[in-house]
Amino acid sequence: MASNTLYILLCSGEHEKVQMAAMMASVAAVSERPVEVFVSMNAIHAFEKGLSADKRYHGGAYSKLLKEKKAPDPLTLFRQGRELGDLKLWACSMALDVQGWELDKLEDGLFDEALGLTKFLSDAETGQFVTL
Amino acid sequence: MELIAKLKLVNVGDEIEVLSSDKGSANDIPEWVKKVHHEMVGITQQDGYWSIVVRKAK
Repeated sequence: MASNTLYILLCSGEHEKVQMAAMMASVAAVSERPVEVFVSMNAIHAFEKGLSADKRYHGGAYSKLLKEKKAPDPLTLFRQGRELGDLKLWACSMALDVQGWELDKLEDGLFDEALGLTKFLSDAETGQFVTL
Repeated sequence: MELIAKLKLVNVGDEIEVLSSDKGSANDIPEWVKKVHHEMVGITQQDGYWSIVVRKAK
């Protein structure tokens, strides 16, 4: 049976939410389930090119523990999900606009394209939708 | 993730052993194997780690 697509709307830049989004996306993708992730609002900062892990991931009580216990890097998980499964990442065009950023401000090899919320919502009608 | 990447490279019928100190892996790997229709060969708790053996089935 073909799985229905998992759609993840990632808005929060808090470490634990970025971590959970990356874990869900990569596990679902390698379990033969298509996944699409729409990154908007403060979460877009976690994908900025060239940041150290400390600058990239912060906030929330779990952040310190995730770093201490050396949880897998969320961006690495997203990359592995893309390599090993059917995982797409979209950067919210509005979030880029308000920052004055183009797609090239974000880490390479992660995003398919910039996308509008309307298109993402419309695509997501037939799948399962999760917001973080 | 490393197991999944390695399984892509080996032949059908080959077995891979994962050694993990993480109980999460001991729970999650069998679930993943079932979901994607590979085969569990065995899982044993050693001194401070788990040995999880998986056979590539397709």
